[in-house]
Amino acid sequence: MALTPDTGTPDTGTPDTGTPDTRTPYTRTPGAVEAHVPVEPLACGRDAAEVWDHTEAGTLDEHERDCPHCGAAAADARGLEAMVGRLAQEPLVPPATVVDRVVGAVLAELRPRDLIPLDSPHGPAALDAAAAAAVLRGVVDAMAGMRARSCRIARPSSSDGRPGPAEVAMTVTARFGVDLSSTTARVRQMVLAAGEQALGVPVARVDIEVVDVFLDEPGPAR
Amino acid sequence: MTALHDAGELHPAPGAARRNPTRAAPQPDSAAEPARPVVATPDDLDEQTLVVRAQEGDVRAFETLARRHQVALYRLAVRVLGNRADAEDALQDGLLDAWRRIGSFRGEASFSTWLYRIVTNRCLGLLRRTRPAVPVADPTEAGDVVGARSASPERQAELDAGMTALAAALTGLPHDQRVCFVLRELEGLGYAEIAEITGARETTVRGRIHRARKALAEVMRPWR
Repeated sequence: MALTPDTGTPDTGTPDTGTPDTRTPYTRTPGAVEAHVPVEPLACGRDAAEVWDHTEAGTLDEHERDCPHCGAAAADARGLEAMVGRLAQEPLVPPATVVDRVVGAVLAELRPRDLIPLDSPHGPAALDAAAAAAVLRGVVDAMAGMRARSCRIARPSSSDGRPGPAEVAMTVTARFGVDLSSTTARVRQMVLAAGEQALGVPVARVDIEVVDVFLDEPGPAR
Repeated sequence: MTALHDAGELHPAPGAARRNPTRAAPQPDSAAEPARPVVATPDDLDEQTLVVRAQEGDVRAFETLARRHQVALYRLAVRVLGNRADAEDALQDGLLDAWRRIGSFRGEASFSTWLYRIVTNRCLGLLRRTRPAVPVADPTEAGDVVGARSASPERQAELDAGMTALAAALTGLPHDQRVCFVLRELEGLGYAEIAEITGARETTVRGRIHRARKALAEVMRPWR
């Protein structure tokens, strides 16, 4: 089979404008002024790559439909399209064990990054900040209409060198329509209580920032 | 219990307040919230929330992201590498890279673009290590990714043979062309996103895809 080696530079001599063309070829108006260099100019002046895109998108213009040069490119495109479409539809699903293995490796190499000192009569003790944040996020997630996003916990030393009360900064998202002032007040109460009861860390301050709203059926953001 | 010195500040982001015009009238929570499942699980969360949590060390959030994106990433890897075993390795190593580097994700590109880039680099690394620059197509290996089918009429057999031939021809393309073609024609991405994923200029991407299309069209002519 004759395959062309890739030179990687079909546009030699032409400076890149540096402005990425954010339009997809599928929405490109046929015949519109293009910000790119022709990949394969046809004898009629059109770019074979464009004709190919238009064939796939079903947006061939009048010239492209009638011109023999464009017609040959379009025929090539159609010939490949059907088979490529079938290949694209082949279901390919990775075995579930791949993500399991990844998570296993992640957990195995997990090292505490930030530690929150705990008040302990039996010598130094500390809590992993990521684990503590997960506990506080869980408290917020359990509340109707609220979801925790970022959760950062700091426990600065007090003047006597002992760990002072913790300071929590959270960002949350709220269901569209919930009353933000009463709900965030409740979030604050719950976080204060959870800090004390679940983590054993007195909390002096809880900053809550509502950074987004979600609708009733959030699902994956797509 | 330690006295609470400061109950903190409440400052809803301006955007959130603006997008929520109904909040002017405070109402009892119970009235605002009809019965519905309350506890949000990671599966309920939007992508940005999951990314932020993963960046702060939440492994479960990362796992949810990995499960959400793994099928698309695996498809890419199988088509680029030509077999499932290598694709599993590329997916696994790519996801581990993603975890290790998630702190550097700044949101300039979409998260899926960022993941595609990581897995693409893993695939190209594997190809460089294990294959000649322009490998000879191996129909048995390419056939591996086409999948078994039940016995069917002649046309079905013909189509299956065509797909096997196409998969084999794909593995015969130069690596850069193959990656760009797969992202474009099998994953349906736009040129700008492919340029972001591959780090090549958009005009270069267009050229690679066109050369790949022409080469494949030539190979596939007998199956038309």
